[in-house]
Amino acid sequence: MRHICINCGYIYDPKKGDPMNDIPPGTAFEDLPDEWVCPMCYATTENFDPLD
Amino acid sequence: MIPSVASLFQATELGQDIRPLVIGERTNANGSRRFRELLLNDDYQGCLEIALEQEAAGAHVLDVCAAYAGRDELRDMTELVRLFAGSLRMPLMIDSTTPSCIEACLRIYPGRCIVNSINLEDGGVNIRKVCALVKKYGAAVVALTINENGMAMTTEDKVTTAREIHDIAVNEFGLRPHDILFDPLTFTVGAGDETLRDAATQTLDALRRIKAELPGVFTLLGVSNISFGLSPYSRRLLNSVFLHEAVEAGLDAAIIDAAKIVPLARVSEEDREMCLDLLFDRVKDPEQGPLMAFIEHFTETDGENTDDAESDDDRRRPEQVLVDHVVDGRKEGLEDQLNILLTRNTPLAIINDLLVPAMRHVGDLFGRGEILLPFVLKSAEVMKAAVSFLEPLMEKDESEAVTKILLATVQGDVHDIGKNLVEIILSNNGYQVYNLGIKMPVETIIKKAREYDVDIIGLSGLLVKSAIVMQESMPQYEAAGLQAPVLLGGAALTPKFVAESCVPPYSSPVVYCADAFAGLKAVREFEAGTLAATTYNASSTPKRMRPGAKTAEIDRTITVPSVPFTGVRHTRDIDPAVLFPFINEQALFRGRWGYRRGKMGAEEYRDLIEKDVRPLYEDFKRRAVEDALIQPQVAYGYFPCRSEGDALIVIDGTQEHVFTFPRQEDPPHLCIADYFRTAEEGGDVAGFFVVTIGPNISEATHELYDANAYHDYLMLHGFSVEITDALAEYWHEMMREELGFVGDSPDTLTGYAVQEYRGSRYGFGYPACPDLDAHKPMFDMLKPEKIGVSLTEQMEMVPEQTTSAIIAHHPQAKYFAV
Repeated sequence: MRHICINCGYIYDPKKGDPMNDIPPGTAFEDLPDEWVCPMCYATTENFDPLD
Repeated sequence: MIPSVASLFQATELGQDIRPLVIGERTNANGSRRFRELLLNDDYQGCLEIALEQEAAGAHVLDVCAAYAGRDELRDMTELVRLFAGSLRMPLMIDSTTPSCIEACLRIYPGRCIVNSINLEDGGVNIRKVCALVKKYGAAVVALTINENGMAMTTEDKVTTAREIHDIAVNEFGLRPHDILFDPLTFTVGAGDETLRDAATQTLDALRRIKAELPGVFTLLGVSNISFGLSPYSRRLLNSVFLHEAVEAGLDAAIIDAAKIVPLARVSEEDREMCLDLLFDRVKDPEQGPLMAFIEHFTETDGENTDDAESDDDRRRPEQVLVDHVVDGRKEGLEDQLNILLTRNTPLAIINDLLVPAMRHVGDLFGRGEILLPFVLKSAEVMKAAVSFLEPLMEKDESEAVTKILLATVQGDVHDIGKNLVEIILSNNGYQVYNLGIKMPVETIIKKAREYDVDIIGLSGLLVKSAIVMQESMPQYEAAGLQAPVLLGGAALTPKFVAESCVPPYSSPVVYCADAFAGLKAVREFEAGTLAATTYNASSTPKRMRPGAKTAEIDRTITVPSVPFTGVRHTRDIDPAVLFPFINEQALFRGRWGYRRGKMGAEEYRDLIEKDVRPLYEDFKRRAVEDALIQPQVAYGYFPCRSEGDALIVIDGTQEHVFTFPRQEDPPHLCIADYFRTAEEGGDVAGFFVVTIGPNISEATHELYDANAYHDYLMLHGFSVEITDALAEYWHEMMREELGFVGDSPDTLTGYAVQEYRGSRYGFGYPACPDLDAHKPMFDMLKPEKIGVSLTEQMEMVPEQTTSAIIAHHPQAKYFAV
């Protein structure tokens, strides 16, 4: 499921992954590493809301 | 460990503080015709409606029974359990005696449910199958006192059977006593069966003995069985009186229609006596037994008690109504309730025994993610209104000693939303708060802390610089001899920074608080004597990633765009409405306003946004224009420049200004200066802007705070923050157009969030250039005083809703953090 950053509106889409943090496509939001942060505003995962 | 059951969404304690645990009974194919008919039509959604009604009526757990002749119980139950599990907050009770059906439900239920039920009817075959499943899936289980001779009627039989079941469940299968809820069975006293005249007494005595003789177990009753055969209205009263007696006898849980519980206080003395006579078989009139007297009494009174006409408020105890006012954030009718309560309570008792616990409950709900911040603020408004109403009625010496807390935003920092949220939460949890305001020097804080003799000092500050101010002030507090613990909060703080830099210089605890509720928790810990300084364990905290470009190779051949002018211009005639399309609604609704989706489903969240959030948003946009709340103004310009190492030399007429930017310590060692060409490469141009939405909205925001309109205060403040960002986004786009970057506007708002355009803008004070000192040369160049913007001694811009940036045109320039 896609998740949205409540601080800046960045959308984490598992289909795309996150190249800014070297996260490969196909990585579920729940499987992101603990140290992952929003590539735009550096908010941590607890600042993300489910989108779909 | 507190014995609990759980749904996907929440845990529910089996032993409620206020007993009983209410188990909704209307989703039972045998007990509810409406439910049965929906089930027979395969209308599972309709079944869910009934379940949701039970939840709304106050059920803590829902009993689900689909066993009905001609139906496929396994299919019905698994469909219902799957549907209910995703939609109900309350945990389920799987009501079935078929082991295969029970197992299918346990396997798919995403929580800890209760199985209803086991007994010894077949001598001990089925019970062993079900106990094995209960153990395997970690469930709880209801045990009925039924043995091979049938349902236990006497206290002795009930207790003996319970003991035998306890033996099997605990000793053979390793269940814990608190996994079992014993139901010693209720039989009606309303059908005229002579053998059942003492049925209530037998059951109540059994409750007492089970609780005493089988320590740790829970008890349960199907309460309404007591009144089978009687008229509907009298049933409700008898059920309530019986429930009360059962709770007194040790009842933990009741299967009952939550919507039909009549509070005992609402049962008249006379009606209550009638009920007690029937329950305890007290013969007062030798001519007729208590049953006949009961029936006659309620035939006479039934007519005048059509209580459906009464409003909900009237039917409940005023104490509960007041608590609901706070929890629901509802001010209408509040003073009426307070006046009713004042006839039998002191103002102080109303505050301490009802209002403060209600706010704590609200805080707990927020902590568990069950309500959103805007609703907490609504509750706090009701709390504030109630206390304001009661305070003048209190004797002076009636206000007892409460914990006193000083709050301040530190020197040089004008941000007060965080501090004010802390004040709202603390003051409305019954604490005495002294809110000194913003930009508070250390000396003033020390002086006021002594003057008010405060127990705790809370310091707040948004800026990176404020964190340094806090750190540097700790030795001063120590030298001044203060002993109050210090709570620190602010966006730039981390537990690591507080533990390593702020804790050591001060003797009393220094505690990092992530939000207002962490502050509340700290105050409670202080009262309990358990408040400890923040510690930091590097190994247990993951090192955050540092997103951004992975290469330091920056294309040096990008053509420098031609600028429309060099120097500075000021613009005041911007229609606020042009900013609206640039407002980041997601960040506004979810982030600033706290309307997060959390545990809601997508549809429920969409409804909330459309019904509650968007109308407020539209109203703010209207007021932004009509009431001139927003007055967008811009100071901006383009300047020739050249990079030299980590510095950017900006040429303003005959003057040169040096902007020194930090460089990343780790690869790829990015630095803003790298995105501009050196003198040897031919030099470059840089854009700068300061944008503000003016002082009006800040003033309107503070007026709301002063008027205790906490909810609207947070909303308007959040709106002002996001529309300031929208202005920055809009003006950046204007400047890209002026630079000739035509057609590079993102298609969606998300596109702006991820910089789908050429170049970047770096805000001073943000991760790529955290140092606000750059404001000094920029103010020399842009003269934003002309649009009413000034600098504090900490280089912060005033009014609060102002932002600044340097604009880089290089296509590789994007956000990064140093």
